[in-house]
Parts: sequence; structure tokens; C-alpha cells
Amino acid sequence: MSSTELNPTHGSPGRTLAVWFGLCVATVTTWRLGEQAGGAVLTALLLGIALVKGRLVAYEFMALRHAPLLWRALLSGWLCVVCLLIGLAYWKGLNP
Amino acid sequence: MQYKSQAVAKPYFIAAIGLFVGQIVFGLIMGLQYVIGDFLFPALPFNVARMVHTNLLIVWLLFGFMGAAYYMVPEESETELFSPKLALAMFWIFLVAGALTIVGYLFVPYATLAQMTGNDILATMGREFLEQPLITKVGIVVVALAFLFNISMTMLRGRKTAISMVLLLGLWGLAIFFLFSFYNPHNLVKDKYYWWWVVHLWVEGVWELILGALLAFVLIKVTGVDREVIEKWLYVIITLTLVTGIIGTGHHYYWIGAPEYWQWWGSVFSALEPIPFFAMTVFAFNMVNRRRREHPNRAATLWALGTGVMSFLGAGVWGFLHTLAPVNYYTHGSQITAAHGHMAFYGAYVMVVLTIISYAMPILRGRAANSNKAQVLEMWSFWLMTIAMVFITLFLTAAGILQVWLQRVSTTPLGFMATQEQVSLFYWMREWAGVAFFIGLVVYIASFFVNGEGEGQAATR
Amino acid sequence: MHATTTLPQRRLAGDLAIWFFILAELLAFGVFFAAYAFARARHAAEFDVAQQALNRDAGALNTLLLLSASALVVRAVQGAQAGQAGQGRRAAPWLLGAIVCGLGFVGVKLGEYAGAFAAGVSLSSSVFHMFYLSLTFFHFMHVLLGLVILAVLWAGLLAGRYGPDNLNGLESGAAYWHMVDLVWLILFPLVYVIH
Repeated sequence: MSSTELNPTHGSPGRTLAVWFGLCVATVTTWRLGEQAGGAVLTALLLGIALVKGRLVAYEFMALRHAPLLWRALLSGWLCVVCLLIGLAYWKGLNP
Repeated sequence: MQYKSQAVAKPYFIAAIGLFVGQIVFGLIMGLQYVIGDFLFPALPFNVARMVHTNLLIVWLLFGFMGAAYYMVPEESETELFSPKLALAMFWIFLVAGALTIVGYLFVPYATLAQMTGNDILATMGREFLEQPLITKVGIVVVALAFLFNISMTMLRGRKTAISMVLLLGLWGLAIFFLFSFYNPHNLVKDKYYWWWVVHLWVEGVWELILGALLAFVLIKVTGVDREVIEKWLYVIITLTLVTGIIGTGHHYYWIGAPEYWQWWGSVFSALEPIPFFAMTVFAFNMVNRRRREHPNRAATLWALGTGVMSFLGAGVWGFLHTLAPVNYYTHGSQITAAHGHMAFYGAYVMVVLTIISYAMPILRGRAANSNKAQVLEMWSFWLMTIAMVFITLFLTAAGILQVWLQRVSTTPLGFMATQEQVSLFYWMREWAGVAFFIGLVVYIASFFVNGEGEGQAATR
Repeated sequence: MHATTTLPQRRLAGDLAIWFFILAELLAFGVFFAAYAFARARHAAEFDVAQQALNRDAGALNTLLLLSASALVVRAVQGAQAGQAGQGRRAAPWLLGAIVCGLGFVGVKLGEYAGAFAAGVSLSSSVFHMFYLSLTFFHFMHVLLGLVILAVLWAGLLAGRYGPDNLNGLESGAAYWHMVDLVWLILFPLVYVIH
């Protein structure tokens, strides 16, 4: 038996449906939040949502949940660095 | 040698090495003129020495690429070359035309040369690296077309592999982008804009495809790793190369009058140009580690690995150093550019041509590999030339940093020539590193003349 | 010792080469995102005004379309993994659904561009517009490439090429598509929403 049969890397259909639904709710939230006046709190919130969404796609859809640590770290690291840099730049924009 | 017609590669390789020697001699002369301004003046002014140094480099690399293609394509296509006679005829035409052009540069004033060769019919001369007279440029196009016809017909007749397709794409691109050397608009912005379509899209675009294909071919041969694995990496590398390289052209458009967005596009994409080079290094080491055989030609493997590392350092790292627009604002056209140019050309293109010569030449001379003695000598030349080039690059980088500081950053900036005086120590050190490089080159050539027969086949680790 | 207990073996879904490529792509987008953010820091007011003119509804709709396409791609891979060898074709409709969603993204985006160009937006009209067009167009090219890959995978599924014994190609293409989705999940809030 090959390892793929023992290990359904790509999860179950139910799990995928739940993840998809969560991602959609998060997207609608981001969209509605766009109506609000900007600010540090809102920016942090929006970046936080983007981070969680990105992690969900990486871990669930790209199947990194079952991948070696190195690759999970690389993708999570990318997400964190990008969101941090964006946050830092926006903070700089608030206090020029 | 599997196919008789592969033998036409041999004169191309020999000519390449011969012109390489010429290039280095003129490099040494120029290096000395940096510190002794009137050395050989007026017989050989600096601008002529520089023109000969850079033109010889391009011509000998083209000889190397053509030789490599004539060697590789029959073997990849599993058929004889379409016309070995045409290949030999083109060799002599190219060699004679190249030699006449250099003689013209050396013995006729440039303006007179332009008059003699019909520059008033179609003005193409006088631009850096594209100084060739009109008739030479036309000659290059004719030779390139005949060469591409020969190679393409061979491929059409035989097996089509990913490696030979990538090679052909690179060679066709090389010929097509050269056509922009005939376009010389009066508008200075447009002139520079399209000039880069030859210069940049050659060395940071289509030449990299040739580089990737040559490296992949040699790695398949010396490691015995599956073709599918190597081809997969080749695809990834060429895609990254094309995306970063083509849009990265923008890093030449910062200050020539092109729209401002090029500062962003150029910075972002050219900053990523090291990635394909890094991938190439990882690829080369990975394949050698996974090797399934001990090829007797250890020197070729060394050159292949060296190409990976040095192209990443020279083209990737040293390119990145000054590619971002805010940095380039200060470093533009300084000795930092010269440092990058030297290591990038050596690490990427010189070394890959020497890799294929190292692999193919013993086979062309009727043995799988040279004797242990010849290989040891060749590996000595590898280290001598490579280390010398590292020092040339470091000294030029130091000169460049000092130059930028004194001439552009300082609150009391010095003029150009006054700055040159200040950095002359680094120019002296660069010249001595150049001498070491030349010694390495002499050792390299000597390695062809020591007894290459004998224990070569048995030379394993 | 329970030697027979099978801990799931850690495994990267898709070929190492495609993951290397994905990393390079992520790096490119990451650099571009940071460049946008730091350029905005210097022209915050100007960016906010220009951003208000963007069609946020279209951006949100496109996010939903990409997410749905990604989920459908996952279903296709699950289908191919669960089926018998050579029975991957049953998973083909899922991938077709994903392609339809991707084409929906392309349609919405083209409508958005038509509006922007009609309003006189160009690469040189402002720093914000330079970034808006560059970033979204660079991403748009990736969606097109992703769609070509999905189409090839779909044809492969129909031809019965993929199954539990042969998932590498399917997983590699799927990973690339998810990367295109992942990048958009940052791009959308960054360019359309955060102000």
C-alpha cells in the first residue's frame, strides 16, 4: 500500500466545505469593514483577517497541514513577514 | 563522440580560447592604463583597448555557444548535423570577419572606419558594445541565420528534447534581439531604450536560456541523473529567468528619460533576478549529489558546479547590490558596475563555455576524459582564474564604493578624475589580480598540451 | 512498541520543483506588496482618495470566486485520491467548476479594467494607479496561467491520467492555483480595503 492511501493528505470533503465557508465569511467581513473610516485598529483587524485566511488556504487547500516543518515554516513565515511589513508601513503612514 | 559531425565544434572551441587570450591581454593593457594613463598612447588609446576587450569577449562567447550547439544538438537529436560543410564555412567567415574588425579597430581611426564601412548609409556605430561596422553587423546576422538554419534543420530531423528546445529558443532570441542593433533613433532616450533590448535582453534574458541548456546537458552526461528530473528544473529556471529578466530590463530605464513606473518595475523584478541563478546553483549541486555514476571527467564537473556558484555570486548577488533605484541613484555607472560586469560575465558565460569545452574537448580528441595529470592542471587553472576573478571583483567593488563616496555622497564632492587618483591603489591591486588571472589562463591552455592519453579512463575518485 | 501504528507520513503535496517556483512567486509578490505599503506611507492621503474610486464590490466578488475555485480544486484532488487507479475522471466536473469560477474572475477583472481605462487611469496617472494596475495585472497574468494549468489537469483527469497511484502532476498544478488564490487574499485587502 502506498503512503497516500494510508494518509488522505487532502482532508475530507466536509472539512473543505467548512474551510471554504469560513473563508467566505471572512471575505464578506473584510468587504463590509471597508465602509468604516480607516485607522490603526481597523488596519490591524484587516491584516489579522488576511493572515488567518492565508494560513487557512496554505494549510488546508495547499495541504501544508501534512507537510514537513520546513515548508510550513516557509509559508507561515512569508505570511507573517508580509503582514508585518504592511502593518509597519501603515503605522509609518499614520506617524510620518 | 557519437556522431561524426559533432567534430565541427572543435575549431569553434579552439577559436574561442584563442580570442579569450586576446581579450585578457587587452584587459591587462586597459587595467594598466587606468593607473598609467599614457601607457601605449597614442598607438592604443584607452577607448580602443576597451572596445577590443569587450568585443572580443562577446565574439569568443558566441564562438563558444555555436561550438556548444554543434556539439550538443546532434547528440540530443540523435542524428548527424544537417550540414557540417555549412558549419565549417560559417566558422571561417565569422573568424575572418571578426579578425578584420579587430584589425580595423586597432589600425584605422574609428571615424575613418565608419566612413569606409558605410556608416553614412545606415548609422549603427558608436554605441557601447555595438561598435561593429555595418558590414560586420550584417555578417553576424548572416552567420547567425546560417547557423540557426543548420541547427534547426538538424533538430527537425531528429529527436526533440526539452534541453535542445531551450537551447534553440535562446539562440533564436539571441539572433532576433541583435536586430535592434540596426535601429539607431536620433532621440537619445529611444536610442538607449532599444540599445538595452540587445544588451540586457541578451545577457539577462536569452543567454541565460543557453546557459541553462548547456549546464543541463553537461549535468545529464556527468551525473547520469534521469533526464525528466533535470528537464523539470530547467523549466522552472527558464520561466523564472524570463519573467524576472524581461521585466527587469526596467532597471536600465531609471535615469534615461523613460516613464517613472520603471523605477518600481525595474527595482522589484530585477531584485528577483538572483532567484533563477540561485535555483541553478541548487540544481547543479543537487544533481551532482544524486549522481548515478562517477564520470572520469572530474574537471568538467568542477566547472559545472563553479558555473552555478559564480553566476549566482556575480550575476545574482553583485547585480542585486546596485539594482534598486534608490541605491542605483548613487552607484550608477561607477566601478561597482564594472565589478558586477566582470564577475557576472566570468561566472555565468565564460565558465559555462569552459564547462562544455572541458566536457566535449577530450571526447572530440578521442577519449572520455583527459589523463589525471591534465585534469589536475585544468583544475589548478579553474581555481587560479576563479580566485583571481573574485579578487578583481572585490577590488573593483572597493574602488566603486570609495568612488561613490568621494564623488557623489560627500558634502564636498571631488571631480571624476580627482576621484580616480584617490582610488588608484585599488586599480593597482586589480591589475595584479588580472595578472594572476592571466597565469591561470596560461595554465588552462597548458592543460591541453600535457599528455592527455592514458589513465584518463581510469581516473576515478 | 507499537511498530504497526501508522503515523501519517509528512509529505509535501506536489513536486519539489513547483514548490520552489511557488516560493519564488511569493517572494516576488511579497516584495511588490511591501513596495506598495511603503510608497503609500509617503503619499497616504493621495492613496486613500484614489482607493475610494476602486470598485470594492468587484474585488470582494472576485475573492469569493477565487476561494470557490480553490475549494473546488481541492475537491477534485480529493476525488482523484479517493478513487481507484485510473478512475480520476469522476473528479473532472469539480475541476471544470473551478475553471468556470476562474473565468468568472477574469470577466469581473476585465470589466473593472474597462471602467478604469475609461476613467483615464494609466500607469503614469498617479503612484497609486501605477501600483493598482501593476499589482492587479501581474496577478491577473497568474490567474490566466493558472487557468491554463487547470485546463491541462482537467484534460488529464478526463483521460484517466490521475489516480491515487499518480497524483504528483495534479497536486503540483493544484498547489500553483492555490498560490494564486493566496496572493489575492493579501492583495485584495491591501489595495482595495485598508486605508
